[in-house]
Amino acid sequence: MTVHARARDYPQSEFEGPIPNESELTAGSRIVPGRSYGFFTDTTRCIGCKACETACKQWNALPADNMALTGDSYDNTGALSASTWRHVAFIEKIGTGADRATEMPPYQSNWLMMSDVCKHCHNAPCLEACPTGALFRTEFDTVVVQQDICNGCGYCVPACPFGVVDLSEVDGKAHKCTLCYDRLKGGLEPACAKACPTDSIQFGEVEHLQRAAEQRVADLHQRGVPNAYLYGTPGAPGATGDLGHLNAFFLLTERPEVYNLPPAPTRASNRTLPSLISGLATVASLAAAAALLLGGRPGR
Amino acid sequence: MSYPGKVEAVSGPLEHSTRQRAPYGRTGDRSPFRQVYDGPTYYGRNTVKPSPFDWKIALYIFLGGLSGAAEIIATVADFDGNPALEDTVRQGRYLALVGTLAGPPLLIAGLHTPSRWYNMLRIFRGTSPMSIGSWILTAFGGFAVATAAAQGGLDTTNPVRWPRLRRILRGSARVLQVPAALAGAGMSVYTAGLMAATSTPLWAAAPRLLAARFAAAAMAAASAALSLGARRHHRIAAAERLEDLTALAAATELVMARASNEVYRQRGVDTALHEPQFRLFYSGGAELIGTAVPLALYVANRVTRHPSNRLAWAGGLAVMAGSAALRLSMMYAGNESARHPEPYLAATQSERTSP
Ligand code: SF4
Repeated sequence: MTVHARARDYPQSEFEGPIPNESELTAGSRIVPGRSYGFFTDTTRCIGCKACETACKQWNALPADNMALTGDSYDNTGALSASTWRHVAFIEKIGTGADRATEMPPYQSNWLMMSDVCKHCHNAPCLEACPTGALFRTEFDTVVVQQDICNGCGYCVPACPFGVVDLSEVDGKAHKCTLCYDRLKGGLEPACAKACPTDSIQFGEVEHLQRAAEQRVADLHQRGVPNAYLYGTPGAPGATGDLGHLNAFFLLTERPEVYNLPPAPTRASNRTLPSLISGLATVASLAAAAALLLGGRPGR
Repeated sequence: MSYPGKVEAVSGPLEHSTRQRAPYGRTGDRSPFRQVYDGPTYYGRNTVKPSPFDWKIALYIFLGGLSGAAEIIATVADFDGNPALEDTVRQGRYLALVGTLAGPPLLIAGLHTPSRWYNMLRIFRGTSPMSIGSWILTAFGGFAVATAAAQGGLDTTNPVRWPRLRRILRGSARVLQVPAALAGAGMSVYTAGLMAATSTPLWAAAPRLLAARFAAAAMAAASAALSLGARRHHRIAAAERLEDLTALAAATELVMARASNEVYRQRGVDTALHEPQFRLFYSGGAELIGTAVPLALYVANRVTRHPSNRLAWAGGLAVMAGSAALRLSMMYAGNESARHPEPYLAATQSERTSP
């Protein structure tokens, strides 16, 4: 990554306040309302340091959870939840017994790591399910729960095709990644992306990220990682079932299920109309039958 | 899937993830189309999250369907003008109050921030069956209460002293019941749409069949309840007609149940339904007691020369119990299907249209 020219303007190590448009210096992308922002999470660059998890918890003041060892490789977080908005998955492709691998391919050896996050879907099922309007699309094309409106109905939870959004037992509201809505408003790069030491998490305008990601896939193919592919870009796995693209998308080297991602998720709201029409047609037929059965001559 | 959760080395191109699974799945499986997920999972962890809905919402779905369908039957009976069914019209209008009065408290108790229940009426969102349903419930509540109030006026005024008032009341009830019955149709089906428009594998697998099934279950329960009401008042002719309607609705439900079970099996989302508690409530409660048993009882009563009052009561009660069991078992089995990765990963292997 090259250093931005404006970096010269800030040689000091202590600052009075945030640098204007700081994201330009840290992520190479100025944050302008009306444009689409997202994450490109490149799993081939992830070293599993969990700096993103920590930075997210710290900035968003999220409580610690699951204070125990899971035994699932280095993943003691387990899953995304109301209080965990970044989750680093660890997959050991080492095999067991006679299948135990003896050779290591390049990149991450036999260990896959992937920092999972809300996908900020283009057609977000959580948002489409929300009956209160608490879930809304921001001026940065991200999906955010307004905490002062959510009444904890919980309908967004089963609506999400990725199991992201979750109800908090503490405050009875739905919570998930906001793509650091507050930071974006202040011109700052989201906390996880800024903290990521390897640029496995890249923040920026979705279109730019998509182009960079395609370049990265081509690079990896050339360097001998033929399995690299994108998840969540238009036409790719993950961007299926009328979800459109995912604003937070991924570069993977294994089948999506390995990372606990569905290969072909769908847009839940597309099932609303077919369901209602079929139900109403059944009611109408039975009501017509009732008119025949109940009418006519009195008595029998 | 085998514990310890280490994923076997599963390299290879992505196409592997979207292939159709082996034609023959679990032992004893005859369907050549069944999708069974036998690929990797992430330490057996669920991929989607189960809904936080519990028995309160399931009970609401049952009562809401019962009330909505009762209003429909009462309205149809009123327009049919069959004097034998006048009592049924009255009872149906009162029965519609059950869902109206019990629904909101049940739903609000199901919220995790109940003090903000009114935010349900803050917007209308056409993509959200929960939002659509909030407005249906509001409309149904208003018209059903108004219809029942007019009926209450009719039931408490003296026909000799208040002939004009009673004409007005009868006319108002007749007009008000129409929007109430239309909203009642929404009450009986939107809850199926609500379940179908999620990523919960069991609920999402067959959106159309689920709604047809809920609609039939609502009509069956309401008509069974009204037939019992007629029997209580010894109006056997009315009761028998309502029992015919109940039998028709139960038969419809049975057909839809069979069809959806086949879809659930083929898509590999039916694993939860085979667990003992769901076998009891779903196969035993919703299907057997809710449809097959009452159908047999009603048919038996129709073919004998001496129909038994007891058999008819048993049939009516069985239909109502089955209708409640269907909602309860679908609710909990759906949540269970989301707690394991396999049903969802089986269902999302490739895109396809759902029946
Ligand atoms: S991933 Fe889930 S929570 Fe995030 S925008 Fe999509 S539906 Fe909503």
